[in-house]
Amino acid sequence: MTVLTSQNTPQRAISIRSPTIRIVIACTAFAVLLAAPIVLPAYFVEIGFKLLIYIVLAEAWNLLAGYGGLVSLGTSSFFGLGAYVTVGLINHAGAGPLQALAASALAGIAVAIVMSRGLFRLRGLYFTVGTLALAEALRLFVINVPWFGGATGLFVTVDLPEIAALFRYATLLLALAALVMALATGSRFSVLLRAVRDDEDAAGQVGVRAFRIKLAAFIVASALIASAGGLQAIKLGAIEPYGSFGLQWSVDPLAIVIIGGLGMRFGAIVGAVLFVAIGELLADYPELHVAITGVTLILLIRFAPRGICGLAEAALRRRGAAPREARP
Amino acid sequence: MTAAAYSAPLLDAAGLGKRYGGVVANDGIDIRLDKGRVLGVIGPNGAGKSTLIGLLGGAIAPSAGRIHFEGDDITALPASERARRGIGRTYQIPRPFLDMTVAENLAVGQFSLSPFISAATATAERRDILDRCGLADAADVKARDLPLLRRKRLEVARALALKPKLLLLDEVGAGLIDSEVSELIALIRSLMDGERSIIIIEHVIRIVKECCEGLVVINFGKVLTKGPTAEVLASDEVSAVYLGTSHGGTAKASPIAVPSTTDDPAPSPSATTAPVLALEGVSAGYGQARVIHDLSLSVMPGQVVGILGTNGAGKTTLAHVISRSLPVTAGSIRFAGNDITNEPAHSVAARGIAHCMEGRRIFASLSVEENLEVAARHVRAAERKLRLERVYALFPILAERRNSGGTSMSGGQQQALAIGRALMAKPRLVIFDEISLGLAPVMMDRLYEALAELKREGLTMLVVEQDVERALDLADTAHIINKGRITLSGPTSVVRADERLRHLYFGTEE
Ligand SMILES: Nc1ncnc2c1ncn2[C@@H]1O[C@H](COP(=O)(O)OP(=O)(O)OP(=O)(O)O)[C@@H](O)[C@H]1O
Ligand SMILES: [Mg+2]
Repeated sequence: MTVLTSQNTPQRAISIRSPTIRIVIACTAFAVLLAAPIVLPAYFVEIGFKLLIYIVLAEAWNLLAGYGGLVSLGTSSFFGLGAYVTVGLINHAGAGPLQALAASALAGIAVAIVMSRGLFRLRGLYFTVGTLALAEALRLFVINVPWFGGATGLFVTVDLPEIAALFRYATLLLALAALVMALATGSRFSVLLRAVRDDEDAAGQVGVRAFRIKLAAFIVASALIASAGGLQAIKLGAIEPYGSFGLQWSVDPLAIVIIGGLGMRFGAIVGAVLFVAIGELLADYPELHVAITGVTLILLIRFAPRGICGLAEAALRRRGAAPREARP
Repeated sequence: MTAAAYSAPLLDAAGLGKRYGGVVANDGIDIRLDKGRVLGVIGPNGAGKSTLIGLLGGAIAPSAGRIHFEGDDITALPASERARRGIGRTYQIPRPFLDMTVAENLAVGQFSLSPFISAATATAERRDILDRCGLADAADVKARDLPLLRRKRLEVARALALKPKLLLLDEVGAGLIDSEVSELIALIRSLMDGERSIIIIEHVIRIVKECCEGLVVINFGKVLTKGPTAEVLASDEVSAVYLGTSHGGTAKASPIAVPSTTDDPAPSPSATTAPVLALEGVSAGYGQARVIHDLSLSVMPGQVVGILGTNGAGKTTLAHVISRSLPVTAGSIRFAGNDITNEPAHSVAARGIAHCMEGRRIFASLSVEENLEVAARHVRAAERKLRLERVYALFPILAERRNSGGTSMSGGQQQALAIGRALMAKPRLVIFDEISLGLAPVMMDRLYEALAELKREGLTMLVVEQDVERALDLADTAHIINKGRITLSGPTSVVRADERLRHLYFGTEE
């Protein structure tokens, strides 16, 4: 981990671990992404947009589950929430896409805060079931309350930005997610968050206010997920409860992170690239797609519980032959 | 804040009570502690000592009573708020943050109490604490990779990272040999700076004797007696319920009859029979680190072999090698005439080697009785019942609590359960690693009586024990391990007289 590197290892002058180098790499990557729609064919921009959305969702889920031990199946509740808030504001308040997305992030935060009291009382599997119930409840709410168009949903009634612009919004959202994740996983906060994940009671005994720590992670993740939901809604131009609150939005990020590496810094990105690539290659064979993803998951869980990034890390460590500490 | 500013004591707990259903763990306990003082809490296994720590630290909600700290009522405060006010505790059965490094484990407390502490200060503090606790070499090791006794030190280190005003130590001296106990005493003394108050729970009497001004004795959840350390330790009452035969106590623990289920006569250890276990030039370790080197030893049927040595010498590693839960890098292991060098742990267990591990591994979701029964799941119900009766005769507390959850038992009760579970398999060879860990002195008496009885019946045992005297009394032969090699072995009478044992004992070596 990067938080305490000064412990034993002398800082090397230039290395991939140096913060400056990392920032330069990250900025370059985002500059390239922003420019990408100019040169890429529309088909790849489409896929790229999908990939970016998935990375954001997976990063958020990894923050909750991988770093915080909060295994959530409620991604779809915040995704759908963001979608409805965004479309509502665009249609009825004349909001621009960016304003609408910001508002949906705020809505995500508000719901996260309201739900946290009840949800954090539940631990482990009960928390997971609680988040699942939340998604279901929100969907039923949207279907049954008259303002949201019932089961048919809503259409965006104004002109939509084109895909290149959406791709850039998604890039900005990812940049935001990357920044937040860098702060949340490379900072002192991450030490506290992982302590809560490892043993909430023991963390309390050393002064960690577990509720606040979990809430902070939950808020950040919910804001990111809700914005992603809003962006997806703008892209589709139409939303309906079964799509926006679909279980797939909860399960896919989970699959992505498990493939990439739970609690691993690059788990979300690696997993999302693979997931989307498999999805595109097998777009014409949806059954095969599901089967292959399932088998991949089973194999990884059985043989590489820390996903592809975990495998890579182990391989790197073996090559570097860093001798493991003795366990006398 | 000066000491004079408080008329009230630092800690004032009154009428503390805790019940778990029918079990009364604490019942009307009063504890007052002034700033800068060190108080010892002793009592038999299951008396309620760890429960008391839980109540003070905030992990357990009391059923009765109030707690004042620095004059404020903290009874309703959660553990995190109490930690922030300066109460640091250790867990008897360590609970480190397993997927974090040792240094990060300490950083949790630092960052949660002072999020903006400078990195340099935090690092320096951590280094200092790790140095003092003997963990300096392990700063970047994942806590998961630490063995039990180092995890216990991490418990202390993690509590110290809070710079607590009140430090609650729950059996941090368990499993240490004499020279290591001396180190621990030195550490505790260095913490007694006149400002910090400490409550020490220990079964290692030397620690309470040398560190505590006063003692509280708890029995059946109630305060049995309290007073200055020397007086309390000298009292007959305390000897009877707690100290037992050792430490100059007058009372003899009642001998316990162990009903025998063996119909075959006890084989006498004779020189003509083949060894039941033979290690030949065995080396093993973890990853790149070799822990035991070219080690050979043999165990005759019916023999009791003592394994002595400092912590980190490789005793636990040896135990893991024999039970085949750790691969060897060189050498061979034979058991009852078969080469088991490459056999997996479960088939070795089926051959009759039982391993009573120092980490205990009690199943939390199983009851006491189920924990015992899993070890004998392949035998007929009638035989299983007989073995159960036998274990229950050995440890009546297990019979009494047979339906309780395995990990709801106290530390010492869990140790009894682990020993009982090893015996349930009716093994041909049983390896006891740190057999007396966490047992009260009086309980040790009973355990060793029982072991002597088992020995008479012909059970072959390999006993890893930090109490050299008791181990040598029981064993036929002993091996001293140092840095992964056997440095001395022979009949116990020879080993007992050897200089090298004293070196080990008093830490004068090198
Ligand atoms: N969660 C629980 N549920 C039920 N009973 C419990 C629970 N925790 C502790 N007990 C019981 O309360 C009693 C006191 O336990 P405690 O752990 O305080 O003992 P202790 O004095 O620390 O003993 P030891 O010296 O063995 O560590 C024991 O009989 C124990 O079995
Ligand atoms: Mg205890």
